[in-house]
Amino acid sequence: MQNNEALKNALPGCQKFEEVEENVYDSELGINIGPVKGVFTAKVSQVDIKEMDSYRLLVEGQGKPGKFNGDAAMELVEDGDDTTLQCSADVEVTGVLAAAGQRVMNGVAKVIMGQFFKDIEKEAKKIASL
Amino acid sequence: MTKMVGSSVKRKEDARLLTGNGNFADDITLPGMLHASVVRSSSAHAKIKSIKVEEALNHPGVVAVYTGKDLEGKIGPIPTSWYVPGCNLKEPPQYPLAIDHVRYVGDGVALVIAEDRYTVKDAAELIEVEYEDLPAVVNQKEAMEEGAPLLHEDIENNIALNWKAGEIPEGIMENAEVVVKESFYVQRVFPSPLETRAAIGQYNPGSGELTLWCSSQNPHIHRMVLSEVLGISEAKFQVIAPDMGGGFGGKIGVYPDEALIGYAARDLERPVKWIEERSEHYVAANAGRDEYIDVELAGKKDGTLEAIRVKNTANLGAYLSTMGAGVSTIDFGMMVTGSYDIPYAESETFGVYTNTTPTDAYRGAGKPESTYQIERIIDLFAREIKMDPVELRRKNFIKKEAFPYQNAHGLVYDSGDYEKPLNKALEAINYEELRREQEKKRKEGKLIGIGFSTYVEMCGFGPSEVVGAVGFQGGTWENSTVRVHPSGKVTVFCGTSPHGQGHDTTFSQVVADKLGIPIEDIEFVFSDTKSVSMGWGTYGSRSTAVGGAAVSFASDRVVEKAKKIAAHELEVSENDIEFENGKFQVKGVPGKERTFQDIAHSANMAWNLPEGMEPSLEAQYFFKPENFVFPFGTHVAVVEIDKDTGEIDLQRYVSVDDVGTVINPLTAEGQVHGGIAQGVGQALWEGAVYNKNGQLVSGTLMDYTLPKARFFPHIESDFTETPSPVNPLGAKGVGEVGTTASIACAMNAVVDALSVYGITDLEMPLTPEKIWKTVQEKEGNQ
Amino acid sequence: MTVEKKRVSVTANGQACSAEVEPRKLLVHYLRDDLGLTGTHVGCDTSQCGACSVMVDGDVVKSCTMLAVQADHSEITTVEGLGTAAELHPMQQSFWEEHGLQCGYCTPGVMIAAIGLLKENPNPTEEEIREGLEGVICRCTGYQFIVSAVQKAATRIQETGVNLNSQRLVGEGTQND
Repeated sequence: MQNNEALKNALPGCQKFEEVEENVYDSELGINIGPVKGVFTAKVSQVDIKEMDSYRLLVEGQGKPGKFNGDAAMELVEDGDDTTLQCSADVEVTGVLAAAGQRVMNGVAKVIMGQFFKDIEKEAKKIASL
Repeated sequence: MTKMVGSSVKRKEDARLLTGNGNFADDITLPGMLHASVVRSSSAHAKIKSIKVEEALNHPGVVAVYTGKDLEGKIGPIPTSWYVPGCNLKEPPQYPLAIDHVRYVGDGVALVIAEDRYTVKDAAELIEVEYEDLPAVVNQKEAMEEGAPLLHEDIENNIALNWKAGEIPEGIMENAEVVVKESFYVQRVFPSPLETRAAIGQYNPGSGELTLWCSSQNPHIHRMVLSEVLGISEAKFQVIAPDMGGGFGGKIGVYPDEALIGYAARDLERPVKWIEERSEHYVAANAGRDEYIDVELAGKKDGTLEAIRVKNTANLGAYLSTMGAGVSTIDFGMMVTGSYDIPYAESETFGVYTNTTPTDAYRGAGKPESTYQIERIIDLFAREIKMDPVELRRKNFIKKEAFPYQNAHGLVYDSGDYEKPLNKALEAINYEELRREQEKKRKEGKLIGIGFSTYVEMCGFGPSEVVGAVGFQGGTWENSTVRVHPSGKVTVFCGTSPHGQGHDTTFSQVVADKLGIPIEDIEFVFSDTKSVSMGWGTYGSRSTAVGGAAVSFASDRVVEKAKKIAAHELEVSENDIEFENGKFQVKGVPGKERTFQDIAHSANMAWNLPEGMEPSLEAQYFFKPENFVFPFGTHVAVVEIDKDTGEIDLQRYVSVDDVGTVINPLTAEGQVHGGIAQGVGQALWEGAVYNKNGQLVSGTLMDYTLPKARFFPHIESDFTETPSPVNPLGAKGVGEVGTTASIACAMNAVVDALSVYGITDLEMPLTPEKIWKTVQEKEGNQ
Repeated sequence: MTVEKKRVSVTANGQACSAEVEPRKLLVHYLRDDLGLTGTHVGCDTSQCGACSVMVDGDVVKSCTMLAVQADHSEITTVEGLGTAAELHPMQQSFWEEHGLQCGYCTPGVMIAAIGLLKENPNPTEEEIREGLEGVICRCTGYQFIVSAVQKAATRIQETGVNLNSQRLVGEGTQND
């Protein structure tokens, strides 16, 4: 979950993911879901890192449709044999993203998050099978 | 011949609208026409660091891209039209496109012009604006606080104006037996005409003439203001308002976008069309209301009201709109005593800039808010002294004999008989029985509420001297020309600008009666600055009272001249002629007559006119009213609240309005219904919501609740008629009364239902969620 | 944009029409801009207002939610296909008599929606009409006179036996079925 390559592969539409300083990345996300479409450049930072346990992911993105600021708390919780990834996120958006209303944005956020978790699972399995 | 005034004539304008033959802005297509799109700020407050336009410019089909910097020095800022005096008004410049600083989501930053409507949207998405965000403030009370983000560097505490009127002598409030205080919030709402804004510019490089079709309620004001902004002579600038899908105040304003379209058409020497999208409309078109109102009402235990003190803290948005300064001051503040004889009043208003879309007039403009505070607080006063709210109102009504009545702020109400509509409404709902029923149901645990609004409003703008004295940049008189063709058919011109009200019909009724000709022989021309003499448009319920009066006077002038011609032809003295049913008849000599059509022909041929008389038959009249007009009435709402769902069932709505002489009962009733729908809409469902960062989160019709058919019961509406002495028709205004009355009325009904819990106020709109939470909380506490 | 255009052919108000359009073009823009049927209006961008309602193969459709290419080979009725000023359709006549319109912008869509309603329920109550107009928004009238217009139209249509399923709705009785 803190593996950069894994993160890049799991971020939907991620076209670029480069570390610019420790735990800070420049990325480009191509998003195309319904009315929300466009390339967002984003600064992604990992903060409050507790190795193998939890961290917060801060995303400051900007694209033609507007801006977004995300703050996601990621936590791995042991649950018997399984490990559950818990995530709670706050996202602030501007422009079309905000005006289009929560209905659309919630949908978009769910799709992106859903995809992210599916992919991270895939990445996790990939790493585990190495 | 039956009299036309007073009868429910079917509308003349409907045939084209019903068959798809209307001519709305987007129906207009011109050869070589381009399409425009405005790129708008996605940030509520930011410095513009850069705007990248290359990609858009290189997009196939794109003709031009303009930014604020490109237009600097070429096109002036858009001025307000209401410089309210004595309030230290501060007007920051509003450039058609932001130059380096955006102040609300929706602020224009670039204009893209392309060959078709799809391409221009594609290209607009390719413009990349880099913003450096600044802290934003959306609430006017927060914006006034020390340390709040400043929108305009030189405007301290974001305070645009501080206006005061009246003074309550010392001791009155302090020594009053009863003082009831409450703070209300009349939330921000959207006028929401179903047709958004639109503009089409066409420039003739040969003649230097510019034509702007513009969805405007006042094309002459648009011409006056934009000719200055664009630096073009009014004589070379024609503004036409085509058919319009409503306005409700939202299309009074002269907007940056309209200036941009005029500019681009001239610059590119090609027609340019701009049609606003709905979600764009909600961030870019002026909103209404958004006022915090603190009220103190003082009086005696017996219900005698003595003084009222009102403070309004109004959100003006990021810039000063066309009527922005006047709504919360003059329109609101002068009427705070309502329909009651309250000897002392004090009004104070703070107008505040915030990082939101500007606010301007919305149906009623200040008067619904003023009515809201007085009609709400009088209910609370009644509750405080345990008096029936109807009895308290009746006790304090301005008496019929007192008219013309001067209110505490000096306004003179023209005429009134407030008991008349009240009694009619009480009868319609069977008031005493209804209260007994309410008592009974309350005992069964049901939440039933009865709400009243016995309003009066000021409209019919207006007497020029007064309007000038309060700083409005317009004359607000009105003109009409009655042109009689050789056949006796008539074209009438008038400077008001209808957009759904049906003035073609109602004004034709006036002319038909005056000239004694069939209504089918009359055609009206409005809304075109090239055809119609200077006029002031349609807003403030002024059209019939001022424009209709001008039509009436101009018709009189035609008859006056025609009578002279008839006397000449019939070889009698003018005094021997009487004019009735379209015939000039020699008194006492049956058959010795001329028809109106005969005289129309004679006048236009001019073969045999009285000596020295000018040919043709045409008259113009410029009518300057001496006062505003003051319609009034009583509205009653009955609601039942479902405790389990929080839903409000609006069971009955009764309106009895007195708008003076009713020209056409059918269209007048239509105006009342529409007004009520918008007022009840504000109370129960509508509300514009910004988040703390200044992002509008109610920016589409998915998120902003416009009422639907099933939201309403069958409205029971009626009229009483107390003619106004201000104009020859005796007409007052009918466009805004429904809205002015109904916000308070619906709210009073709900608060009455919830009074069993001791509730005195709730914030509008009264969504089921809000009501449910309140009920649950109160039930839990009991 | 170098997207290949598609030919879309429809029968609009009884007349065969055809135009080449981008695949993304909305039906409402095809009707207005390509066929010149400007009686149908656009009031929003999220399919709430219903001003753009037209009949496609007999069903009421918000023409801003449908692509022109999806309507290929269909039969479309717009307000222009109802009646003429000289010979109004019973729905138009009723809207006129009952003052069911003010600015007239929503009216074409509302009348089409109301015809759709009467096809389903020829004799609706006031409440059923109010429910049945859920898909349209009018900002001017407060709906009351729209409701009375639809009531009157229902009666009139039953009395005159106008066939609401015919392509051009006036003066053709059942012959176009």
